Amino acid sequence: MSTSAGDLGTAEATVQHAATAQTVAGRSPTQIAFERLRKDKVAVVCATIVSILVLLALFAPLITNALNIYWDITDPRAPDPSTVLEFDGFPAVGPPLHGFTWDHPLGLAPETGTDNLAWLLYGLRTSLGVATAATILSTIVGIVLGLIAGFSRGWLDRILSFIIDLFLTLPFLLIALAIAPILVSRFRSNVDALAKAQLVSLIVILVVFGWMGLARILRGQVLSLREREFIQSAEVIGVPTRRILFKELLPNLVAPIVVATSLALPGFVAAEAGLSFLGLGLTGVPSLGRMIDAATPYYSDYPLYLWAPVAVVAILVLTLNLLGDSIRDAFDPKTRR
Amino acid sequence: MTPVIGGVAHTTERVDLHMRFKKPIVALSAAGLLALAACGGSSSDGGSSSTGGSGVDTKNLGNTGDGKDAKRTGPVSFKGAQTGGTVTVLTNTGLTTPIDPSDLYYTDTNAIMTSLVTRALTQYSYDEATKQMILVPDLATDLGTPNSDFTQWKFTLRDGAKWETGDPVTAKEVAFGINRSMDNKTFPNGPGLYYSNPYFKGGDSYKGPYTDKGKLCSCIKVSGNDITITMSKPFPDFPYYASFPAIGPIPLGKASDPATYRQHPLSTGPYMIKSYTPAKSLVLVRNKYWDPKTDPARTAYPDSYDFKAGQDSAKIDTILLADSGDGQTTLTYDDVQAKDYRKMQATGRLVQGGSPCTYFYSPDYRKTTKEIREALVWGLPYKDLILAAGLIPNVNAIPASELMPPGVPGRKDYNAVPGHGDFATDPVKAKQILTDAGKEGFEIKFLFAADDPVSSQTKDVLVKGLTKAGFKATPVPSTIAKLVEDRDNPKGDINLRSYGWCSDWPSGATWVPPIFQSTDLKTVGFGTNEARSTSPRSTSRSTTSSRSTLLTSRLLGRSSSRRS
Repeated sequence: MSTSAGDLGTAEATVQHAATAQTVAGRSPTQIAFERLRKDKVAVVCATIVSILVLLALFAPLITNALNIYWDITDPRAPDPSTVLEFDGFPAVGPPLHGFTWDHPLGLAPETGTDNLAWLLYGLRTSLGVATAATILSTIVGIVLGLIAGFSRGWLDRILSFIIDLFLTLPFLLIALAIAPILVSRFRSNVDALAKAQLVSLIVILVVFGWMGLARILRGQVLSLREREFIQSAEVIGVPTRRILFKELLPNLVAPIVVATSLALPGFVAAEAGLSFLGLGLTGVPSLGRMIDAATPYYSDYPLYLWAPVAVVAILVLTLNLLGDSIRDAFDPKTRR
Repeated sequence: MTPVIGGVAHTTERVDLHMRFKKPIVALSAAGLLALAACGGSSSDGGSSSTGGSGVDTKNLGNTGDGKDAKRTGPVSFKGAQTGGTVTVLTNTGLTTPIDPSDLYYTDTNAIMTSLVTRALTQYSYDEATKQMILVPDLATDLGTPNSDFTQWKFTLRDGAKWETGDPVTAKEVAFGINRSMDNKTFPNGPGLYYSNPYFKGGDSYKGPYTDKGKLCSCIKVSGNDITITMSKPFPDFPYYASFPAIGPIPLGKASDPATYRQHPLSTGPYMIKSYTPAKSLVLVRNKYWDPKTDPARTAYPDSYDFKAGQDSAKIDTILLADSGDGQTTLTYDDVQAKDYRKMQATGRLVQGGSPCTYFYSPDYRKTTKEIREALVWGLPYKDLILAAGLIPNVNAIPASELMPPGVPGRKDYNAVPGHGDFATDPVKAKQILTDAGKEGFEIKFLFAADDPVSSQTKDVLVKGLTKAGFKATPVPSTIAKLVEDRDNPKGDINLRSYGWCSDWPSGATWVPPIFQSTDLKTVGFGTNEARSTSPRSTSRSTTSSRSTLLTSRLLGRSSSRRS
């Protein structure tokens, strides 16, 4: 409360007291927002956790090599399933039947004997990679279509608005369900091509169903901005439309874009895990959703196997969401906290 | 026969007094189901749960039904058994195949129909003394009388057998049923294609009562209660073949129109069909016209059977382990899930027995050499594959060194690769063989179902094992729905196929000819010889197989490699 009130005070101070204004005059809205974020304890904690998770994902190959653990059964250095599993597929080392071991801190997967920690690290990599790619692409699509729809009056706006509404009505899961088998039969001749096709299609599906929210928000913002004096004067003196869109309008839309992006990222992480859980995601690479799917039947005998990926997904989505909320609060001048 | 049932069935054995149901009955029902799949056999409580050792009789598991008792008579009863209640049978993949007697050839539907609904000339019964299934008479008074060279078999129909409508079963109806089995255009799934047409006199030209528009085969003669079948070549195994529903009675005329009869085959046995939805459910209720005095093997203690297919495997195990409510009168003939094996053992829930099915990898003989196949035998990661497939070594994955399971009469122990032990993997030796033959890095191409997690993880294990053994492994993606079709395509760009085969009765005649037959690749495809082995001896009816073909018969695959 007190910090936010202080921040607001500075904005008014710039107008009334020119003498004090000199020390804060150079601060852009973004700088102000970051200043607020730095003082938000939740944001700092969440940002720290997210950074750690991102670092873990980035350095997954180094970590797994250092610990001598492998997610890939086909890796020649990985132990053969029959050497680390008991006759019924349960791990012969580590939980649930044996004590904790530093060789495999989170245990081994039944049936295949892959290391759970290695799988989690690489799964995190997949999750964050897919979610980041989908976020960037859907943001670009959303920005372009939102700007055009908002700025163009008449038929183009009506068509774009209709397309936005159309995509909002499409059933996400149904289309994902339909596409997965089509892809497999299309790229059946080659495993590598199939893996690539699945990755691309997963990102495309997430983008196709992820851009409409931002486009709608931006359209609304542009509708009100374009009636403002600085846009109208730019139009009058003949500034090209592209320049108006990207130099005049876009800088004023940074706040909603940052907010929408930071809230979209955890959504994509959850969606990727959900689709992989349903078997519609990736098959060739580790994924948190696939691990949850594989671990569900083992829950009563081997709870750690399920809890580990569930906890990672939960922590990742929760911290990203809280961080997104904080960013929204920081960027929104109307917020009083 | 096509493999559907694995080596292990499990069942609840606890008793719920309200159901008026005794333990031995449930257990025996399960044994009956297994056995009448022409599988099963010794049931046992199994070995110690810590080692995974089991009670599966690995010395004699292919011998199921070798014994005979032509004199056995009904009625059959079990000491202490009480009547009443409903038995619920849950299964994951069952009931997908036809139940019309002439079109019925798959293990699960065959077991259900022959032991509960349809009667044939002969049948199997569990024999306490030998702890094996033995062949006993059913609708016939004995096991038939052959002529001196087994080219003619005479059976006499017993009196008192009735349809569920109350009408008596006549010899004419049995003769019509046998005729119907020869119509393999109308009934492409049935066993007639493999045994009726090839063996019965004139079977090569006679196309059956529907395709040939009412004509009957001159090979079947009826006189009073006597039915005489003439063969074109000696068929000493005919009494075994006569246990298939295809060699049983079918009502004459419109009542057995194939389009409608497949929905509700009329019962001659203790139970009749109340409702049937393919791949989903089958409800059987008592047939009041069945007379236990006429039946040397069947009993009918429960009031009804409720089969439910398409059930989740994990759910089935959970219901059986929870052991409450209807779960106490529930059984399944599916394999136990590996993760539940110890719990099932601890609670005494498992009935284990052999099943004369062999699953194997079948290297394409057109594309591989003997050295490559030998290197495969040494290089395949048997134990890793079994674990990744969710099977349990020595419980539902038993090592095989040749095609025919132990116990098949006339089978001789034979190891095509000297020194190769059970489930033994030696990548160094495999690599050496490949190097010596100048084939290092030979590319092995095999199918997997990309939408099946189990298939994907066994694929990974196989890739690793083959790579270690000096091969280049190339998995070719398919889908669950397309896997069999892709595998059976002779032109497919793969050189390692995985499938399985089960015996129809304990005789080499149901093993060697189907697996080693030569077919016209253009019109018929592989038939059931997916190795495409063309050793001259394999096309003859000889029961000895050529040395090279035996390289194919090391165990592999799992029940998903069902024949279609």
